This record gives sequence, structure tokens and C-alpha cells, in this order.
Amino acid sequence: MAVCIAVIAKENYPLYIRSVPSQNELKFHYTVHTSLDVVEEKVSAVGKSLADQRELYLGLLYPTEDYKVYGYVTNSKVKFVIVVDSSNTSLRDNEIRSMFRKLHNSFTDVMCNPFYNPGDPILSKAFNGIVSGMMVQTS
Amino acid sequence: MSVPDYMQCAEDHQTVLVVVQPVGIVPEDQFFKIYKRIASVSQVSIRDSQRLLYIRYRHHYLPENNEWGDFQTHRKVVGLVCITTCGAAKDWPQTAERFHGQKEVYSSTLYDSRLLVFGLQGEIAEQQRTDVAFYPSFEECADVERRVEDFVESIFIVLESKRLDRATDKSGDKIQLLCVPFEKKDFVGLDTDSRHYKKRCQGRMRKHVGDLCLQAGMLQDALVHYHMAVELLRAVNDFLWLGAALEGLCSASVIFHYPGGTAGKTAARKPSISQPADASKRHRPGALTANGISADTSTEIGRAKNCLSPEDIIDKYKEAISYYGKYKNAGVIELEACVKAVRVLAIQKRAREASEFLQNAVYINLGQLSEEEKIQRYSILSELYELIGFHRKSAFFKRVAAMQCVAPTIPEPGWRACYKLLLETLPGYSLSLDPKDFSKGSHRGWAAVQMRLLHELVYASRRMGNPGLSVRHLSFLLQTMLDFLSDQEKKEVTQSLENYTSKCPGGMEVITLSDGLKLPPVPFTKLPIVRSVKLLNLPASLRPHKVKCLLEQNVSTASPFIYSPIIMHNRGEERCKKIDFQWVQGDVCEVQLMVYNPMPYELRVENMGLLTSGVEFESLPAALSLPAESGLYPVTLVGVPRTAGNITVNGYHTSVFGVSSDCLLEGLPSVKTSGCLVEVIPSLPRLQLSTSLPRSAHTPQPMSKEQLSSSVSVQLFNGEEQQLTITLENIGSEDIESLELTSKTVNTKDKVFGRFLSWDLEEALRHLPLKPGQTVTLSISIKVKLDFSGQENLLPDLNDDGISVTGLPISSPLRQLLKPRAENKAVSSESGKAEYSHIKTLEAVLNFKYTGGAGKVEGYYRELSLGVHVDVEPSVFFTRVSTLPATSTRQCHLLLDIFNPTEHELTVSAKNSKDLVLHPSECQRLAIQVDKFDFESLPQLYQEPASFSSPKQLEEERQHAQGCQINSKLDICWSIISLQSDYRDCMVA
Repeated sequence: MAVCIAVIAKENYPLYIRSVPSQNELKFHYTVHTSLDVVEEKVSAVGKSLADQRELYLGLLYPTEDYKVYGYVTNSKVKFVIVVDSSNTSLRDNEIRSMFRKLHNSFTDVMCNPFYNPGDPILSKAFNGIVSGMMVQTS
Repeated sequence: MSVPDYMQCAEDHQTVLVVVQPVGIVPEDQFFKIYKRIASVSQVSIRDSQRLLYIRYRHHYLPENNEWGDFQTHRKVVGLVCITTCGAAKDWPQTAERFHGQKEVYSSTLYDSRLLVFGLQGEIAEQQRTDVAFYPSFEECADVERRVEDFVESIFIVLESKRLDRATDKSGDKIQLLCVPFEKKDFVGLDTDSRHYKKRCQGRMRKHVGDLCLQAGMLQDALVHYHMAVELLRAVNDFLWLGAALEGLCSASVIFHYPGGTAGKTAARKPSISQPADASKRHRPGALTANGISADTSTEIGRAKNCLSPEDIIDKYKEAISYYGKYKNAGVIELEACVKAVRVLAIQKRAREASEFLQNAVYINLGQLSEEEKIQRYSILSELYELIGFHRKSAFFKRVAAMQCVAPTIPEPGWRACYKLLLETLPGYSLSLDPKDFSKGSHRGWAAVQMRLLHELVYASRRMGNPGLSVRHLSFLLQTMLDFLSDQEKKEVTQSLENYTSKCPGGMEVITLSDGLKLPPVPFTKLPIVRSVKLLNLPASLRPHKVKCLLEQNVSTASPFIYSPIIMHNRGEERCKKIDFQWVQGDVCEVQLMVYNPMPYELRVENMGLLTSGVEFESLPAALSLPAESGLYPVTLVGVPRTAGNITVNGYHTSVFGVSSDCLLEGLPSVKTSGCLVEVIPSLPRLQLSTSLPRSAHTPQPMSKEQLSSSVSVQLFNGEEQQLTITLENIGSEDIESLELTSKTVNTKDKVFGRFLSWDLEEALRHLPLKPGQTVTLSISIKVKLDFSGQENLLPDLNDDGISVTGLPISSPLRQLLKPRAENKAVSSESGKAEYSHIKTLEAVLNFKYTGGAGKVEGYYRELSLGVHVDVEPSVFFTRVSTLPATSTRQCHLLLDIFNPTEHELTVSAKNSKDLVLHPSECQRLAIQVDKFDFESLPQLYQEPASFSSPKQLEEERQHAQGCQINSKLDICWSIISLQSDYRDCMVA
């Protein structure tokens, strides 16, 4: 269902980015990179109103012709971005939410690994597995 | 209407459009000079009414766009200013003709026009016209601005009359239907009498009057008219005009809320020159007096009601845009409305909503766009994204615009423009072209995107015909993105780098672009990667030593205190930088780098040398070739300091792939270094040593191999003596002025009897000072006397040999005989090493201290050491000693059982006795007649008892003296005939 999943560090550099191999990878890099503008904007807007009780899920960041870009920000300002195909209308908001939750849980596991250095690219196989699961689920 | 004006903003709705154009031949620079002066008159306060008229100038305007003038009056060209040159009076009619031709283009909408004629000397026959002004030259035209103001006022009069005309037109039964160009054919044959049609006409007219009011500076009236228009048009579902009315409403509200303007810097309205009143006040008096109502609270309330709130503005913009969106032909209007809304949102700091408008704008299809229009569109999108703080999105569109500049469909690709635009995208991709920023680690991430951009920069700069730039960018790419490049990419990048550098070698100079941007040099600190830098000491033989007493003096002058915490502290700091050895001027010095090659193929590094400061240093560059993915690889860089002083190794320079780089160590925090500051002392001479004996690989144990310049080895029988000739040559450039020789026996547990090494230095010293190239020889005699006693295993069971012996059966015969008490100790200490081979080793070091030249003045000297390794084989053993009384009472017969442990035939001779021939491993008895003597008659030993510290030493010394005594009496010698050696036996202690 997802065509691209990315994890972006607090300082806005990618920790993990993976897209469906069939398509131009660079294109997704651009998509995710530019989506950060919206994420930042949303985060700063949310931060003003409600500091503590924050909704992590940012919702649809922006739609493009072919894709929809969804965002999610953890409390430590790590961003998750999921790009899905626009043609996939069966996907509801709730499903996207659950995908993010799953991603977040897996990311937490990665961070719990004492051999993982926060800020390094994520190379965890378990995490990769979760992501693969989300990318192929429907296809 | 196909060409959108991306620079438009909401407040442009209140301006009147004036086109300024050249007719005939007008030099471009002169035209723009005049144009600028005209454009400076952007707002004019109208004398009687206190209203302000805003003017928008264009030097280029499509008549096609002019046709939309009824739809939004600010699109209507109402004024025309023509600029022309006219050299002579006879050309004048022709010029005037051209002016009229130009007027024709906009004739349908024009309120008024002017012609400015430059360069005409003399008088014109024709009568003075109000719409023509003559100036003798482009320089002498002081009243251009005033003339333009007059012109604007005349436009205002027309505008005002039109406004009044239309506003009071309500009573008229037939209202003309205003329409946009593409609607015209739709209304053909429509029932003009229907209520619906009438309402439509009314609504549109209302909207038009609103526009006119806005232009005429009557904001309040405009708002009222717009509101009415919205109601009318909504009722008849005239969406396009409803959109326009809503947009008008928005524009008027924006003008009210944001008097500073929404256009930002690009089209910022000048702070009013003619009327320094506060901007917010500008509109109010104008609007109020125009209505003829004095300022009171009721109008304020009315205005507040009519005027949209900031939130409403956006909602209405959205609505308007959605209406425009229904019409394919209104794409430009929609796009412009989006741009205007974005500018308003940017001021309201509502970036997310602005991005939605922009997102919409991206999808507006304007039909077939020319390449130039595409570039313009992408650039403006980028600019707008920048405005709302979406730097990444901005960079994305800028990059698209850059790529558009060089699209394959363009016959003449604009590489220069492409390059310039690409450079502007750098901050958006958080890239800086300074490798220093990169090493700080602030540029992590988005490697794929950044790499793409760098590749494009390289390509664009190459196509621009600037290989120097390409080399710089490619170097940067290689240096900073090395970790992200795949092996294949690394190969490609380096190959193209080599291609470029073959034309234009890369260097360390800062490249300054035409727009002032500086591209700092990119040193290849990762090709190869240097892990540690270590300054090496000179080899031991060349190491300078400080003369002791001078050193002590230095220390004492440094501080009068034995201990001071402050000085200690300072010294500690100094020490952490300064290395505690010295280099010598004129001698080759070495620095060891541990490097490795991160590339998947062999890396050729050329011209690798040291960068130093402090003293004159001649670096001797090295070329190296590192195997693929090599591990740590030691590289030694050498150089010769040419002057004395403190030298600092700052870094190293390399030349890789044709790019030479200076890598400074301070910029490389990952490099381990133990200090880079070392003292260079004045030059010292150099001595080379050669010997008559073969060299050996043996090294005396406590000294490392490094400390010895060479060593010799020789094999001797016990008691044998050999001459060693040493030739010393001065191979340096300084005279040797002094020479000292000392020796030290090392690593021996055995007691050596007599002098092991002896020499006479006097002869050699007479040759001093030794000039460069000269030699001096020195002979040293090596003499070994060791005690092989106690090695019983060497002796076969002698008693079984059938030699009958009488006397004392002892293993260490002589000693036991003479000093039985001392023997007990000796036996016990030696018994533990019975398994030792019968060869004993003697080692000694000869130290030559020499100095000369400038270094001597400074108190330095050099040491050259020669290791001497002697393997001693046992020669003659006395297995038994006994005495027999002789015929004379003063004499006796000394009977010695002599054993030959060697593999050679051996002859033993003694005083008063015949020679005795001993075959290998044979034992025979020798009888010597000797005079009796008393040991106690050796008084000289006790004269200096203080020189012997312990009784044991005293005892040894006595033994030694007694041994000498016995030796002189007996004078026993042995010789091995086959080896032609003839030596004195020195077995006797």
C-alpha cells in the first residue's frame, strides 16, 4: 500500500528511507524532502496551541497528482512520512494511523537497542521487515 | 489572455495601468533610464480631492490582456507614454505618425497619452501640443516627473468622470453588458429583456463601478459596490463575474488591512514622497472626503461591516478561485488570484493554507506554455514558497526551473541561467559549498538529493565552459559525499574528474563567481584518509645530544625556584605541543602518516609532501600508490629543514586525480597526532663508520637495534686477541672538531679479566678537525679472558683416561688451590647453568661522540655506536694442579693437567719448559719448575682502599693482582697451529 516510507531525524536528515523498487527512488527523496516544509509548519502550529497533549499524527501533508503524503511526528521530533498511491482509495485515515503506530513501535524498538547510536541511519532488520510488510501488504 | 503576471498582488487592483514604450530608435539604456524616472511617480495625490492615485507602469503589455480590462479595470491600459528620439525638425511628422500608430494599439481603453521627444534641437513649425514634450537630450529633462504627474492628473479626471457617469447610471433603462473576450460569442442571440439578463448586466456593472471606485481611491464606496455586485451575481449564477466581485472585495479589504502592501520587496510601494503621511491614514481621509461625509464613528462602523476580516479574505479568495476554476479560459485570472492570495497569506503567516493555494496554482493548466514561460512560472512558484518559509519546496521548484532552462527542446540552452538557479537552490537542500561546514556535520542527510544537485552543478558548469568550476564542484562531491557513493559511482566520478583536470587542474585558490559568490577550495582529506601523523626522531646515530652542563644551565635560568605550580603548568602546556626531540638543520627528517584508501580501486597519490611553517623547509614530495580498500598503510614523508628554529608541521599536500589539495591538520579532528612542533637545531657533522670485521646482526640485549649504527661480530678462543680497524669518514658537510670514544661492556654475567677493548685515540685526534670527505682510522684490540671453569660437563671423565694424577682433584684447579675459601661461592653460583653451551658471549658498545660546526656552538653532539659481539670458545683447561718439590728448596715443580677442548691441535708452552702438543680432546700433564713466592708481598693493592666499596670487590681485586703475579712467573702460552694463532693463555685469574 505504501510506496515510500521514511524516518527523518529531529535535525531533518533521513534516518531511513525506502521506496518501492520499481520506481524512481530519487523522486521519492524529493517528495519526502519537500514534505518536511509542511511537517515543520504543522509542528510549529501545533506547538503553539497545545504543548503537552499533542496529536502525533499530522494527517495528510499534501496530495500530489500520483501520491498522497502523510506525516507523523514523535514526541522527540522524529518524523515519519508515508507516501501512498493516490489511486488507492480504499485506504482510510484510520489505516494510515495504524501504520504509523506500527512504525512508531518498531522505531521505539530500534531506539531500545543498546548498540544503536541515535542519529545513525537505521539498519535494523526487524524494522526493515515491518516496513516491507507495510509496503507489500496489498499488492 | 495567456500570459499571467506573476508579480501581481492584491493592491494592484487600485492602480491604473500606464504603458511606457519607445517608438522609433531609442537606445535601450536611455529608455530604461527615462522609464525608471517615470516609474518613480507611482502615486500622485490629487490636488482638490486629497485622494491618492496609484499608477502601475509597464514597458510591455499584451494588447490581448488589455481586452480583459472590463473584467478588472486595473488590467486596462489607460495611459500611454511614448519615448522617442527625433534628430531634426523634418523627421518630426514621421515621429508623430509613429506615436499615433502606437496609440491605436490601446485606443479602445486609453484615457490619455503623452509623447516625450528627445534630441530635437531648434524649433518645430507646428503649434505646441499638450501631449508632446520636447527635450534637447536624455540628460536635460529635469521636468519629466512633473510632466508625468500632470499626465496622471489628467487620467484621474477621466477616471473620476467615468466613475460618476457609471455610478449614477442606475436610472438608465438599458445597462450595457460587460463581458470578457471569450464570452462574447456566448451572448449572441440571448434575450436581452429577461430579468435574468438585466440582473446580470446590473451585477457586472456594479462590480465594474467597484473597480473604478477602488482605482479612484474610494475604498469605502468600492466595498459597498462589491458587496452589492456579489449579491446580484450570486443570484444569477454568473460565476466568473461573481469570482471577480469576490476578488475585488478581497483586494479592497487587503488594501484596508495591510496598507504596507503584500508584494514584499519586489514591488514594494515607495514610502510616499509627495505625501509623508502615515500609510494607514492615506486611505481614510481620501475615502471619506470623496463621500463628502465628515469622519465620524458611524462610517467607521459601516466600513468595519463592509470590510472583510482577515480570515474572510482567505475564504472569499478560495471561493473566487473555485469560481474561476470553472472556466478554462480564465486560467490566468485564477493563477493570478492564487498568487495574490498566497501573498496575503504570507503576510498573515499562514503558510500551510498558502501552500494549498500554491499547490492549486501548480495544477492550473494554461495550455501550451513556451519554455520561457515555464521557467518564469517555476521561478515564481519557488519564490512564493520561499516567501511562506517552505525552503525545500522552493528549492525544488527552483531546480525544476533550472532544468527547464536547459530543456532539450530549447535550441539555445541557458546553462548560465541554469547554473545560477541551481546555486540558489543550495540552501534549500541544506548544502553549502564550503567543505569546512560539511566537516562540522551540520549537513547530514539527503545525500541522494544533494548528490543529484551537485552532479547537475558539475554538468551545468561544464556546459557553461568553465572547467575550473566543474572541477571544484566535482571535488566537493567526491570529498563530501564519499560515504554515500556506490563503488560504481565513485569510479565514474573520479573518471570524469580526471577528464576535467586534464584540461584544467584543480588547485587551492578560491573561485569567485561573477555575482560575488566565493567557492572555497576543497582539499581531499579523504583521499586518502589520514589517521595519524607522527613526527619521527632522527636515527640514533644522527640524533643530537645536548651537552649536560649546558642543559643544566638552561634549566636553572628558566626559574630560580625548584618547584612552582605556575611554571609547571605553563611547561605542561608547552610540552603537549612540543615534541621532546630535535631535528637537525640540513638532515633529512621524517614524518610518518598512517593512511588508508577508501576507494574500491588503486589510488595514486602524487606529489605528497609536508606543509610546514617556522623554518625554511625543503619538502621532498613522494608519490604513492595505495591498493584498493587498503588497511592502514604507513607513509613516510621526508624533508630537509634548511634553517634552525622551531618548525610546525601544519599538514600535508597531495595531488590526487589532478586536483592538488592542502590538507591542514587543524581541520581534521579525526587525525591523531602527538604534536607537530619540533625544534630544529643548527647543523652537525655526520660520521660514517666502517670496520675491518664483518658486520653482524647481533644486537646487545639491553639496547635496541635502532640505537646502534652497526655492529660487528667475531669469534675468538679464550685468551685470543684480535685487532679491529675502524675507519671513520666524515660524510656530512661540517668539520668534525672533536671526537671522544668510550666503551661499555653489556650483557655479560661472566667476569672479564683484563681490558676487553683497548685503543689509542691520540693518533686519530691528531687528524682533527676532520674535513668533509676525509677519513681517519682507529685500531682497537679485542682481548678476551674469561673463566670457563665450573663447566664440568665439558670435561670428560678424566680419571678414566688412565692418566694418573696425584694431588688435589678440583674442578677449578688454580683458584681452589690458591683461594679455597672464595671458591665455595663461585661454584654455587655457577652450578645452576651447567646446561649452557660451552661458547660464551661477550658484548660491548663503542660510543663515538663527535661534534662540530654550528651545532657545537649550541652545545650539541652526536653519538655513533658500534656494537661488538664476541663469541668466546674455550681454549685450554687446567683440570688439575699439583706441586712437587724440586731439587732446590727455593723452587718447586708445578704440575698442570691440561685439556684441549677445541677441535684443533694445540701447542702449549711455558717458561723453563718444552712445548707440549695437545690433540683435540686430549689431556696431558705439564711440569714447570718455578720459584716459590709469597702473595703477601703484594703491598701496592692496599694503597687505595677507599676506591673499593665492598669487601667482595676488594677480594676480587686482590685475586686479580695475585693472578697477574702468577702469570708473570709462569708465562704459559698456547697456540693453534692450524689457525696460525698464537696467544697467551689467560686462564689464570
